[in-house]
Amino acid sequence: MKQIIKQKASDNTYYHQDFHIALNYGINYLHKSFGGEAVREYLAQFANAYFAPLKKELRDKGLPVLKEHYEKIYKIENAVFHMNISPHDLFIHLSESPAVMYIKTNGHPVSSLYQETVITVNKEICRNTPYDCELAEYKHENGAYKLRFFKRKM
Amino acid sequence: MISCTEFIPAYSELFKFLEKKQDKAAVVDFWNYLSDTFLTNLKDELIENGIRGCWVYWSKTLKEEAADFTMELDEEAGEFSINMQHCPSKGLLLENKHIEPYPDYCEHCDVLYRRVLEPLGYIYELDRSQTDHARCKLRVKTKKR
Repeated sequence: MKQIIKQKASDNTYYHQDFHIALNYGINYLHKSFGGEAVREYLAQFANAYFAPLKKELRDKGLPVLKEHYEKIYKIENAVFHMNISPHDLFIHLSESPAVMYIKTNGHPVSSLYQETVITVNKEICRNTPYDCELAEYKHENGAYKLRFFKRKM
Repeated sequence: MISCTEFIPAYSELFKFLEKKQDKAAVVDFWNYLSDTFLTNLKDELIENGIRGCWVYWSKTLKEEAADFTMELDEEAGEFSINMQHCPSKGLLLENKHIEPYPDYCEHCDVLYRRVLEPLGYIYELDRSQTDHARCKLRVKTKKR
């Protein structure tokens, strides 16, 4: 007996968590084949290309743009987080990374450089803008982090 | 954190990075590595359920990727197919005008799945002639003994 399924894009929500595992293996592959610097170079290239519109908005409108961006991303990923924004800085506390937890729960080893998806990517988003960021805390066991964006001293 | 909804551009950029860093062979080597490490779930489904494993695997992934497709399974004939009318991955790369997709982006589907399916005794065919429009056709057949 033949079985058939027909689906339209609008029938479902775009949310495929296995992609976290694939990205983790991408980082692993680069790390083992070309070293840690290649991981950072790659993530910077990705951030510079993909987040170009976000960078422009950050330059034009400032830190609320990043707050809005990460609120949207964390909501998609069902993350538990806390944010504080002032005219000078934006503080983000992610209690647990849904990406790291998904990779671990499915039995895959998390790359020792996985934190670069936070620090390298956000440093690149800030590059050539009036802002910078620092990773104040990162927990490898669950991917929790404290990240602060702030205005550069001129 | 990079969301799983941001993965496809990251994936395409990785192919570009590897080709620039080394060559196309490095991109294919990565696809082989990813197939071996990441697609263990497809392999497990095929070992447990035969060609139905394709149906089980792609029912889940294509639903989560919100694809526009028709999928068919004929277990008696040993045939499985996907007619992808709009691939969400290639579609996303084409829609984001500020990013340039890796030219051979869709080739990863050929390499990754072939590497799992053929050693298990299946014939795998992927028609990539319309990938510029985010469309493709995938066919899996059980080899006649």
